[in-house]
Amino acid sequence: MIHFEELVLPNGLKILVHEDPSTPLAAVNILYKVGARDEDSSRTGFAHLFEHFMFEGSVNIPDFDTELQIAGGDNNAFTSNDVTNYYDILPATNLETAFWLESDRMLSLDFNIDSLETQKKVVCEEFKEHYINQPYGDVWHKLSALAYKVHPYQWPTIGLELSHVENAKMEDVRDFFYKYYRPRNAVMVVAGGVKTKEVEKLALKWFGDIPSGELIPHDLPKEPEQTEERVLVLHEDVPLNAIYKAYKMCDRRHDDYQATDFIRDMLSTGDSSRLYHELVKDKKIFSSVAAYLSETIDDGIFIIEGKLNPDVSMDDADAAIINCITKLSDDVSEDELQKVKNKTEAFLTFSDTNILNRAMNLAYYDMLGNAADVNTEIDKYMAVTTTQIKRVAKNIFNKNRCSTVKYFKK
Amino acid sequence: MNRTQAPKIKTVDAIDLLAVEQIKLDNGIPVYIINSGEQEIVKIDFVFEAGKWYEPKNLLADFVNRMMREGVKGKSAKEIADIFEFYGSNLESSVSFTNAGFQIYSLSKHLPHILPLLMEIFTEASFPEDEFLTMLNNRKQKHTERLAKNDYIANRNFLSAMWGQEHPYGRVTEFQDFENVNTGQLKDFYSSYYNAGNCFILIAGKLDDAIIKSLNSVFGAKAWLGAKAPHDINYHPHPNAELRQHTEKKDSVQSSVMIGNATINKYHPDFDKLSVVNTVFGGYFGSRLMANIREEKGYTYGIFSSLSSYQHGGILEISAEVGKEVSEATINEVHNEIKAMRNELIDEEELDTVKNYLTGRLMRSVDGPMKYSDVYKGLILYGRDSDYINEYLHTIHTITAEEIRELSVKYLDFDRMYKVTVG
Repeated sequence: MIHFEELVLPNGLKILVHEDPSTPLAAVNILYKVGARDEDSSRTGFAHLFEHFMFEGSVNIPDFDTELQIAGGDNNAFTSNDVTNYYDILPATNLETAFWLESDRMLSLDFNIDSLETQKKVVCEEFKEHYINQPYGDVWHKLSALAYKVHPYQWPTIGLELSHVENAKMEDVRDFFYKYYRPRNAVMVVAGGVKTKEVEKLALKWFGDIPSGELIPHDLPKEPEQTEERVLVLHEDVPLNAIYKAYKMCDRRHDDYQATDFIRDMLSTGDSSRLYHELVKDKKIFSSVAAYLSETIDDGIFIIEGKLNPDVSMDDADAAIINCITKLSDDVSEDELQKVKNKTEAFLTFSDTNILNRAMNLAYYDMLGNAADVNTEIDKYMAVTTTQIKRVAKNIFNKNRCSTVKYFKK
Repeated sequence: MNRTQAPKIKTVDAIDLLAVEQIKLDNGIPVYIINSGEQEIVKIDFVFEAGKWYEPKNLLADFVNRMMREGVKGKSAKEIADIFEFYGSNLESSVSFTNAGFQIYSLSKHLPHILPLLMEIFTEASFPEDEFLTMLNNRKQKHTERLAKNDYIANRNFLSAMWGQEHPYGRVTEFQDFENVNTGQLKDFYSSYYNAGNCFILIAGKLDDAIIKSLNSVFGAKAWLGAKAPHDINYHPHPNAELRQHTEKKDSVQSSVMIGNATINKYHPDFDKLSVVNTVFGGYFGSRLMANIREEKGYTYGIFSSLSSYQHGGILEISAEVGKEVSEATINEVHNEIKAMRNELIDEEELDTVKNYLTGRLMRSVDGPMKYSDVYKGLILYGRDSDYINEYLHTIHTITAEEIRELSVKYLDFDRMYKVTVG
């Protein structure tokens, strides 16, 4: 149970405070409601490049990182398709430093052209490190483009190509900042060894005078129903043949989301899971398999990947996956459901021990609609039935809603 | 309000630590207990001195640790996994140079179902032949995958150059190694090293007497006592004289760069201070290497140096993935930063930043029972107790600019360092 209080400043900035006197640390998390899905298709990767730029000096403070380090703190940030999330963790006695730093970069940035040029290079190296110079590194580009034809989930957060990052202009950076990085488009969480009264005082002092801006709607095209099987065959310099299958699934707020997550667990969490036991251990089709969700807010994809053993044909491997996953539509025992419920109960309890996780979760659930849902998520999982699992599995594992990427090694 | 003015900082002079209680089970296994937390969860570490240092052949320590859960007397791999996973418990295993261990995360209420099964894994593992062959195949496949990555190759070349193939720290896996192991050897290693006399336990979470009693009733029997790992096994490093090593990968758009050398470990009185030197140099986001090579030059997404301590030596290493065309320039800049560390005194502002940063990092590392138990495990390995944490904090707070320069001269020697590139 994560208890919290909610404050809203006159400029519209919402602040959630979670007091935990057992820790001498404080976590400050600010989620901006903008991600790669809000980008223009000709300027992809921008939200992420912008995240880098947020550390390049704000209007009154040249060096964010150093100031936080002086206060004994550390920080990081990530950009997803849906959001950009920044966090700081520091001794609670120095909480005000985080307010000073975060408020200044919400107020305005330094917009230094040299910094932008350097960060473009850094992001291009990040792009190369993770997406080009890695076997299977291009899979997210290929799979997203195959699965999404209309919705901006068709490109990964790093961007479609290096040139989109290289061509970013300061003018775009400025517009992006004043559009999305305003109090009304953000949610802030302060957690740990803090007092709500103190947080309120600091919030008014540091964030109170920032112009409110607007909550920016996400008017995104809905991805049309996929009605045909999509397959992309690649011959690349990869070490092993591999297959990646992406099935369309529901959005994050849908009532079937928890059941879908359970299906993922049943298929690939732990040595007792279906894909691992049947296809790695028993039939020895793959040397490794995994299933995961894209975890997006809008309609997502359910991904299954496997690395093929030598002498196994791609067709047999594909058929074996399909055979294994479609069995979920008519055979799920109460025991298996209880297993994934127990696992989820343990997982959620353990992840609750970390104040930074709690802070990030509060911000994320607030963005989804209601921060208090963070405490009832577990109930949604516990209410899932075997009937629902079977229905959802049947719905998801339909070949006409599947996109497959097959890697053959050269 | 003046936004250019930083709020006043309070420095932390001492860190409040959770209490650690030590008891012994009936058979003498030491148990370290950290009783704290609100949630009904427990993490238990079982640490055996069964790491790579003791394996007569490459891969044995790792394979034994993995195979122990692949079958016990009367239970198949699937049945074992079913039990752990039905109760939502997560069993992790790991092998380092010295130790091999199991870490179980569980809701307290399910422990009675989990602990007896762990005991079976420790004492009655059966090493089924078919499971062994499956694991062998999957590990070979994994090895094939890794060999396609530049950073993996760079790390292999770096370690084997520094220590030589005969030394556990420098031994790298070859495909032939997979052909040279069999279940007979696994069983021998298992029976020599996995026993109550060669083990300690750490337990953290919200605990009560019943949990501690159950530890004794399940793991406290004298029947599984055995010998401690022998402490007379020694290896001598055979460093390669060639310090510059390059592997060409013509299709790569980046190069993996590794630079460094063997150095002191935590038993050496300079080590803690050297860890502060390393932080300044390349050990945190604001380090000299990051500021120059990422933030100023944009050559890389990240460059770090790290200082690792093992029981028989240490390693100082700098690593980065950099644009292929700037790999030589990166090595030059590392050299320049080393010269600056050796020749110039760090200014007060930078030194204070590092001191405060390290203080905060130390606080974070011991925050809560789960994290603290990981740190405490590291202390046990070097014969230390919780006092060490605040002694280390004192070292951080009192180190001087002169000492940092002296230690840089002593330990950061570019001419002695290996420079390995792949790309």
